[in-house]
Amino acid sequence: MTEMLTGAQILCRSLVEAGVDVIFGYPGGAIMPFYHALGDHPRLRHILVRHEQAAAHAADGYARASGRVGVCVATSGPGATNLVTGLATAHMDSSPVVAITGQVPRAMIGRDAFQETDIIGMTLPITKQNYLVQDVAELAGVVAEALAIAQEGRPGPVLIDVPKDVQNQKTEYRSSQPSQDPRAGARGQSLGSQSLTPGASPLTPGASPGNVQDGVREAARLIAAAERPLLMIGHGVILSSAYPEVRALAEKTGIPVITTLLGISAFPEGHPLFLGMPGMHGEVRVNRAIQHADLIVGIGLRFDDRVTGNTAGFAPRARIVHIDLDRAEIGKNVPVAVGIVGDAREVTRRLAAEVSPRTCERWLEEIREFTRPRPAAFRGDLAPETILASLYEATGGRCTIVTDVGQHQMWVAKLYPYRRPNTHITSGGLGTMGFAVPAAMGVHLARPGETVWAISGDGGFQMNMAEIATMVQEKLPVKMAVFNNGYLGMVRQWQQFFHGKRYSCTPIWSPDYVKLAEAYGIPGWRVKQAAELWDVVAQANDHPGPALVEFVIEQEANVYPMIPPGGSLSEPIEAEPATAAGD
Amino acid sequence: MPASHNVAVLLEDGLLTLNRAVGVLRRRNVPIECLALKPSGTAGVSELTFVLKTDAATAGRVVQQIHKIIGVRDVVLVATEDSTTEVQS
Repeated sequence: MTEMLTGAQILCRSLVEAGVDVIFGYPGGAIMPFYHALGDHPRLRHILVRHEQAAAHAADGYARASGRVGVCVATSGPGATNLVTGLATAHMDSSPVVAITGQVPRAMIGRDAFQETDIIGMTLPITKQNYLVQDVAELAGVVAEALAIAQEGRPGPVLIDVPKDVQNQKTEYRSSQPSQDPRAGARGQSLGSQSLTPGASPLTPGASPGNVQDGVREAARLIAAAERPLLMIGHGVILSSAYPEVRALAEKTGIPVITTLLGISAFPEGHPLFLGMPGMHGEVRVNRAIQHADLIVGIGLRFDDRVTGNTAGFAPRARIVHIDLDRAEIGKNVPVAVGIVGDAREVTRRLAAEVSPRTCERWLEEIREFTRPRPAAFRGDLAPETILASLYEATGGRCTIVTDVGQHQMWVAKLYPYRRPNTHITSGGLGTMGFAVPAAMGVHLARPGETVWAISGDGGFQMNMAEIATMVQEKLPVKMAVFNNGYLGMVRQWQQFFHGKRYSCTPIWSPDYVKLAEAYGIPGWRVKQAAELWDVVAQANDHPGPALVEFVIEQEANVYPMIPPGGSLSEPIEAEPATAAGD
Repeated sequence: MPASHNVAVLLEDGLLTLNRAVGVLRRRNVPIECLALKPSGTAGVSELTFVLKTDAATAGRVVQQIHKIIGVRDVVLVATEDSTTEVQS
């Protein structure tokens, strides 16, 4: 059945019919027709944020927790530009987000109209695809295509810019229309087989299914021959829910497993083959294992610089098998012996079937000998490790933790015992301070039955703490923890190690967080002693609404060990330098 | 070793796709020697050609990144010319 609808109505209908049930946004002049139509769609819950950046992070958090597309909406100009950090965050971490922005009417585009900005141009490098919709007849197809592109292959953000007059234009709309190839509009139909020089493609091996099997066979052969093999798993394992396949591969071969920052929770801590996180703040034994390995099987990770340190010195004895959905990642950062382009779950399943059973007992024993006692990084009794232990006890481990960026992020990554898949959510690639609080709102909406803790430092928390108001208004019972050390701690740590201890602009004042909580009408606590800790965390966890707990921790605590930026994984800093470098 | 790599891209007509393809060169910080756009002979499709002055691995990565762009139908490294004999000033 067809009916005449406005562009704004089509936007709402298309989202509802695609199964979208929540959107995060902020109204404004150029998006008002959409907000007017929204009133007729009660199935589309709208969360009114306090800043559009939070809408993008919340949509991102929703997407990561649910595996479905997260949707955010903003007006033109400043509304659209405020989304940019959130979209860049989603792009770096392969999160499926669709952003809808209002734009000035078509006749005004290019004339520097009020609240006009070239959001298409601005988001070109941080989106998978973006659209300026110039004809209302294309709108429904564009929405369907955008939702599909955001999710298919390696996920990522897509932006749809809709001029205000297109939102008001009417056209025929057919319910649940585009069941055709969602990429048809982008890829065209008649030209799909055209190529410049058929058969001469220089693209990496493993691109076709036949080559995947060759790659799997070769990888299995390398695994059989290796004496010191490692599995390194990243976000791709979580995106494709390849948990049982990875576990089967590890257990069949006895290969120890390393999880990158975004791979945390993809393999259960406590498993005898679990090693931990590698890289800049990885445990010494993990990095030493990498440096001694003769084979690394990387699944769904990018071998980024925080993982590898200086690539010239990374895993000098190892051949690398790299499995990734994105062929552009194969060989981008480290040379690979075997590159396999494919879905982590499918390729790992085939690899687990192909490998011969084996064990790695001698290698595991060698790695155990790499273990060092953890350096005494904390003075006083309110150590991050103790705080996280109280959190684990209060929640029984049944919560999702969303972290911000900085020292607390590394402490949580290293010290919290994740045992359930996809329960650790953080901004990895872009390292976006201010991510945790708004992203946690999206995580809650994706998992309403589960407790969600947003853990931030005092710097990152103050970037987006205005979202407490959103939580109160929208009844989102997110639990917020602030690790307050009075510094932008990670930057201060770098200043201590590499800039002669000149703490330039890193001391940061905080408001009274208990009074702040009170002002928002939510309970707040300040914890200074471990003796108070367990009771407060339990109370906050059990409170039915949002709650805020400030942990006053040692001011100059450091994250150890640390590989200096650009340094080799073989050279960790494990204590404060006796004589600080720099000026 | 820097060399000249000729790359040809078949892409759908439209400024956005062209902008994305050229944007990859800027985003990935790759120097170009020349760049040209012409009709491909097929309606709706243009051929973008450019010459990169870089090492083979970087040229390969650029090809991979451009290949991912929606609206790009094909991309190939057409030829590589070794530039080691160029006069050094």
